[in-house]
Amino acid sequence: MLESILAVLETILVIFIGALEEGLVYAVMALGVYITYKILDFPDLSVDGTFPLGAAVTATLITKGVSPILTLLISFVIGAFAGMLTGIIHVKFKIRDLLAGIIMMTALYTINLRITGGKSNVPIFMQKTIFNNSFLNGMPEEVQPYLVSIVLFFIVLLMKLLLDLYLKTKSGYLLRAVGDNEMVVTALAKDKGITKIIGLIIANAYVALSGSVYAQKSGYFDIYTGTGTMVMGLASVVIGINLLKKVSFVKATSAVIVGSVIYKICVAIAIYFGLETSDLKLITAVLFFVILVASNDRKRRAKSNA
Amino acid sequence: MVNTTEVLMGYKYHKLLEVKDMKKLILATFILSIAISILTACGTKEEAGDKLSQGTKNNVTIGVGQFAEHASLDNCREGFLAGLEEEGYVEGENLTVYRENALADGSNANQIANNFIAKNVDLIAAIATPMAQSAFGAAKDTDIPVIFTAVTDPVAAQLANEDHKPNGNATGTSDKLPVELQLEMIRAILPEAKTIGIMYSTSEANSISAIEEYKEAAPKYGFEIIESGVSTIADIPLAADNLLEKVDCINNLTDNTVVSALPVILNKAAKKNIPVFGSEVEQVKLGCLSSMGLDYYELGVQTGKMAARVLKGEKTASEINFEVIEEASFYGNTAVAENLGITLPGEYVNNAKEMFHEITE
Repeated sequence: MLESILAVLETILVIFIGALEEGLVYAVMALGVYITYKILDFPDLSVDGTFPLGAAVTATLITKGVSPILTLLISFVIGAFAGMLTGIIHVKFKIRDLLAGIIMMTALYTINLRITGGKSNVPIFMQKTIFNNSFLNGMPEEVQPYLVSIVLFFIVLLMKLLLDLYLKTKSGYLLRAVGDNEMVVTALAKDKGITKIIGLIIANAYVALSGSVYAQKSGYFDIYTGTGTMVMGLASVVIGINLLKKVSFVKATSAVIVGSVIYKICVAIAIYFGLETSDLKLITAVLFFVILVASNDRKRRAKSNA
Repeated sequence: MVNTTEVLMGYKYHKLLEVKDMKKLILATFILSIAISILTACGTKEEAGDKLSQGTKNNVTIGVGQFAEHASLDNCREGFLAGLEEEGYVEGENLTVYRENALADGSNANQIANNFIAKNVDLIAAIATPMAQSAFGAAKDTDIPVIFTAVTDPVAAQLANEDHKPNGNATGTSDKLPVELQLEMIRAILPEAKTIGIMYSTSEANSISAIEEYKEAAPKYGFEIIESGVSTIADIPLAADNLLEKVDCINNLTDNTVVSALPVILNKAAKKNIPVFGSEVEQVKLGCLSSMGLDYYELGVQTGKMAARVLKGEKTASEINFEVIEEASFYGNTAVAENLGITLPGEYVNNAKEMFHEITE
């Protein structure tokens, strides 16, 4: 009896740890989506391209022998650059937000293939990564199953604290103002276009960093890596913020991280209980639909206020 | 008065929907979807339980993870289960199968692999490269063997090393195109031909590596390869016109973009009386002259038999080298041959896996 209970507990633990890891990997991406979607009110589709961009850069550099930690930083910078381009396309060339994202996403598909030298799949199983190195492998046997989660936890925590700090700076306040009421920014004699570009830079830097972590955790880059990133990010943001709205001491950034983990736990439970994975897309689509309806509603209110 | 009330009520409802219910609706949908999934699940679970109770003492549970929905990969999966059955593992009797599909999403692939491990299956079967890599990564620290199939290049995917030896407890089969056999066949059908044109899309990595292989092997059979890269399906008519001016025949890869526009190419080639060769059975049905193609079902069967050896404990996955399918089967289309005024060589026709006598529109 006790044995069977223990076996069940172990199964639950394996599923939970697996979902926690996936959730934390995507949490950094969700923070990026939080900046564009929730703060800037900008549905940024370029994340479907910047997430695999981070993964492609990382996998390629790691096979060339670059330090795994350095690849995190490089991905962050390259993601920032891609975000800047989306921003410039939108602000300077006056192309609508969705279309600017689609242009970037489309362009990045080719760029990602160029980065990997035309390979649609770059494995790094045999190379050192932030999860697979002599330091971590030397840790005691008992903690081994939790190491990936621990490393991820620190990365996510660091990125969350940095974002919290940034949002408290003057530039951070302006960012929030652009999403809420552009007039305030103009009244302060600040360029709202530049502020939007800054928001997109930070957001896509976060997304690409998340892609870098993803590639190192999974052990490979694949051209399909980016499929559905935006939807996943949106789901995390909406679930996290709505679930934890009532808990006043939890910051929105923490809520997004929790949202990402909850989303992945739900997926894991669904798969475990034998849900056809083909149904998953429909569920996500319904979820996405409701999110979009909700955001339409938000815009309508904003208009009637104005 | 009535009008005002209606307007007010309408406003109220509108307000209500706007402020609170939207957010509740989002949560409700999410909870509902989870509930649905668990309900669907219960059905499946009972089924699985029944199978377990019916089973003999040699009960085996496997997880079959497939990367995407695709006819070839589906054939591969069915072949795999047939291969297991030939070796005495019959689904519903002594074999329980969990089937999952990652829908071309890497994160799903990771979660599917993790789920198989949580269920402590006896073996994971992974179909297509990313699924194989996810399963390989997830099972690395467990003793669950991974058997993969439809992985074009297991060495490049770091699933095995140069001598075909596994890098871990994972082995399987590759679906590499039988380039040499195809060139040999073209030579047999067209003894006079000098140039082969190949169209491919620049974004498909598999095509690019296949082109390299063709270029390398072509001189051995006295051919020169003329390639033509396209970036979208819209480029194909122009590229086809251009290529048909320069070549004696055209050879197709499994390039998704080019295959989608195959009827266009076939039509243009037919007008110039230039034969087009295919790389799999479906293309021959559509009007390619012939092909030394892979049969994904057979590939699956071969992989299923490998899995059975591992399940029986004859060898561990880490002791079996991955296999490249050596036999390719000949598929020919007599209607196309007649139109071109070509007679297909008897040695091929007699050993054909399947001959088609009409062009499927």
